[in-house]
Amino acid sequence: MMERQTAQDDHTEDAWLSQLEVSGLECIRQDIILFQDVSFKLHSGDLLQIDGVNGSGKSSLLRLIAGLMQPSAGEISWQGNEISSCRYEYQQEISYIGHLNGVKDALTAVENLRVMVALAGSKPELPLSKALDQIELAGMESIPLSRMSAGQKRRVALARLFITKAAIWLLDEPFTSLDASGKLVIERLIVEHCARGGIIIFSTHQPMEIKDCSIMHIHLGKK
Amino acid sequence: MTSYWNTFRVIFLRDIILASRYRAELANPLIFFIMVIVLFPFAFGSDPDLLRRVTAGMIWITALLASSLSLEGIFRSDYADGSAEQMVLSGYPLTLLVAAKIAAHWCLTGLPLIIIAMLTAYLLSLPAQALQALFLTLFLGTPVLSLIGAIAVALTVGLRSGGMLLSLIILPLYMPILIFSMLAVENAMADIPFDAELYFLSGMLVLSITLAPIATAYSLRIRMS
Repeated sequence: MMERQTAQDDHTEDAWLSQLEVSGLECIRQDIILFQDVSFKLHSGDLLQIDGVNGSGKSSLLRLIAGLMQPSAGEISWQGNEISSCRYEYQQEISYIGHLNGVKDALTAVENLRVMVALAGSKPELPLSKALDQIELAGMESIPLSRMSAGQKRRVALARLFITKAAIWLLDEPFTSLDASGKLVIERLIVEHCARGGIIIFSTHQPMEIKDCSIMHIHLGKK
Repeated sequence: MTSYWNTFRVIFLRDIILASRYRAELANPLIFFIMVIVLFPFAFGSDPDLLRRVTAGMIWITALLASSLSLEGIFRSDYADGSAEQMVLSGYPLTLLVAAKIAAHWCLTGLPLIIIAMLTAYLLSLPAQALQALFLTLFLGTPVLSLIGAIAVALTVGLRSGGMLLSLIILPLYMPILIFSMLAVENAMADIPFDAELYFLSGMLVLSITLAPIATAYSLRIRMS
């Protein structure tokens, strides 16, 4: 409880006042309506979990919010503006981690991180070697990802969260192929990010052990 | 926010490093080019007059095919491993990132192709004035091949029958380049000035440098959604 308090104090200094609003969102894929009339409003510090069975449109909702797809109806707005009207400002504020890791097998972890930093459009929060420490891959700087396990590759992909300053995290099944300690690292990261005033929207089928934050839920598909 | 130039450089270098780690893929179009050029004299016979007349044409046609062979590689792996998604979601304009990738593609395929083409043209005894015209047309033309090709590749990346569709889209667009390049070489061989053709090629190059990255970025965005 104490920890939460101090973290919130931090937040008032480090002003990350984001507001993300989704209203009346509808998604149609291959002529099938995945979901209709999805609406929610998130403010700094909110943590939203998308629930639903396989194929209920969890990934599609995250892709819509990231701006990778266009909704067939409805609107997504950030700080009161439609996201397509302020695309690059919005994209600097989001960090999207999908099913695909978005990392190159032929490059080493550090080379991959360097590309992530260059793409993010913001200065890295941490030195790259420090970020590797955080994901417990210290000492593997010069090994290409093709020689790493699936879980280690996922860690490199998730390192994007450490090194960029995005306020809004969109995580699609972030715990896929992670081991218990990897999962703990990400859970800790999620709590810290919310405490700092970030917004997180994620989907997962794994039980979460997050006690310091309240998780909001949204359910897609039939109940 | 780090500068645009820095991001361009990082993406450009990324593609160069990737290519240097997949050398076989890089060498494929070049080996194809050399093989076809070597086979031509066997098919046509060794009559030097005939060879002199067809050399420039066959070099250009082979360069065009070799370049379209290598095109698919621009976005294929990025699409498959999710890097393309991350580029689309970057805080920087997608046009800039795509331009860096196209520039890297030309440096990796266009430049070596020009060097090998000049060597083979010399070995097949193309006259000196024609060599100069061939070099200039290749130098102005191959970047256009990469630029126009990138638009089509971005449109077809990830499709099952993408390769077929890709050829159908790009070959008609490559025609003007081929025609004007050949005219330039023919004029050079007949000792007639070929400035007009070079101006036309330069115009095409400027046009495609200006518009192709934008069109490619849009195409990629469409393919992602």
